[in-house]
Amino acid sequence: MGYVAVKAGEEVIRRAEELFEKRRVEEGAADLDLDQIGGQLGRLTAQAMSEGGLYAPRLAALAVKQAQGDAAEAAFLLRAYRSTLERWGDSVPAEPDEMFATRRVSPAFKDVPGGQILGATKDYTQRLLDFDLADGGEPTDPTADWDLEDEEPRTLRNVIDVLRAEGLVEEPREDPDAESEDDEPYDTTRRPVLFPAPRSAVLQELARGETGAITALGYSALRGYGRIHPTLAEVRIGELPVEIEHPYTGEAVEVTSVEVTEFEGVVPAYETRDDPRFAFGYGLVFGRNERKAIGMTMLDASIQLDGDEPAEDAEFVLDVIDGIDSFGFVEHLKLPHYVTFGSILDRIRSIRERKRGTGAAGDESGDGGGGDDEGGEVDGGDGDDSDDGGDGDDAAAAEVSAGD
Amino acid sequence: MTDVYDRSERFELLAACDGETLAGLADGVLDCGTRLRVLQEPTPRLVMQRVVEPVEKRRFNLGEVVVTAAEVELDGEKGFAMVPGKEERAALSGAILDAAVAAGHDLTDRIAGELRAAAAERDGRRRRRWAESRATAVEFEAMEDEG
Repeated sequence: MGYVAVKAGEEVIRRAEELFEKRRVEEGAADLDLDQIGGQLGRLTAQAMSEGGLYAPRLAALAVKQAQGDAAEAAFLLRAYRSTLERWGDSVPAEPDEMFATRRVSPAFKDVPGGQILGATKDYTQRLLDFDLADGGEPTDPTADWDLEDEEPRTLRNVIDVLRAEGLVEEPREDPDAESEDDEPYDTTRRPVLFPAPRSAVLQELARGETGAITALGYSALRGYGRIHPTLAEVRIGELPVEIEHPYTGEAVEVTSVEVTEFEGVVPAYETRDDPRFAFGYGLVFGRNERKAIGMTMLDASIQLDGDEPAEDAEFVLDVIDGIDSFGFVEHLKLPHYVTFGSILDRIRSIRERKRGTGAAGDESGDGGGGDDEGGEVDGGDGDDSDDGGDGDDAAAAEVSAGD
Repeated sequence: MTDVYDRSERFELLAACDGETLAGLADGVLDCGTRLRVLQEPTPRLVMQRVVEPVEKRRFNLGEVVVTAAEVELDGEKGFAMVPGKEERAALSGAILDAAVAAGHDLTDRIAGELRAAAAERDGRRRRRWAESRATAVEFEAMEDEG
């Protein structure tokens, strides 16, 4: 079913947009500047960048402001902006070991090399409203009187490397069709995702997936619709360098760094392998978004099983996790569908007319009706001859949805 | 990353410096009457951040990063800079400074001093953040069953 353009008053559309903007300013509160948004609502800007697949903290703050806090809309704005830019090129591939981590914990290993560093988190405290924040006033730094040691920042060894050194890591199975380390990674922003999708495509799509969708599908595996219940080997938050090849010297040089959240999930493989070892799931996302990174870890591990459950089906997962795709498709339903809906109404009325005619003929012949194959498309009919369209609305709405 | 006279290290110093500092220094260079030709207008571009995932050691595309790059020629010497974000003025200023140092401009020592100071400030912030994180290091203890 195709789309038909409609026209409306341009002036009215502009007014609707102005009314939307008025909602942002009508309370008379001071206008939020981008530094305030980026600093105090950093989780929101991080979510917009992660789901938009675009790292640009200041532009993300602008997008959040313009979208009035709607993370999906902000991500959409970032992707739209991204589509106007040329690509300089690819970065030098960054190794996670290069991360400057400010938070690192291992739920799996109590005595992990490098130590457990909680970093900035409220994971171990109660979720209670802090009414002091409602009073406003000059913010104070609660760490101002900390007695800190001056120490050169260190990178922390990846936990997987520790396990690999013990021979406990499940090495990738030999698959002639799989990507090799030397292959160019698949770029889902430039090529359609085809299935079976290479692992690089799966990871890229998961990394830019919508937080709620990633969380829900990962959760489905935990709730029994899957076989994955990983132990998290490592949780890290930090900065990963962005390096390019300098056009004059050819050397790798750092342009900036991106804040990322990284998770590694350990999945025991003794049930499905002759040699009991660990398989892994991996999660890495822009910004601080631990929920999404854990979900990504579970989905990566689940997809590797290639099973029948929803979370194990790469095609199902990748088809539904993109926030821009899903919210665009869902929200398009509120846009005018007058022509398509009108044609469906005509069809339903026509079928009902024919049924009435068949019924009348059947009464005369003693057939009792029911010989019309199309009768089932009108929701089985309810015998209601009234022409109020009530039952037809539901059936028509379903057909619009499916037809679109 | 402190050798201003090394092209690659200078690139990193310029990329890490704040835009206002870069613009102030570049204005100083241009005030000296140098001949400037812009080879590449400062334009926001995308760098695809690639990462090697640690499990199978395969590369994948994490997402794109907005940067602004510019290239100039100053008194016959080329200069190139790239800065994070949509920062046209900072990128152009950085390219001018890159060329100025390469050409041995009179302000080179001042440029070098400012870039080193900016780098030291950045390193200081990084050390502070690391120290704050280290202050939250914990040793978990497994609780034995006392019953």
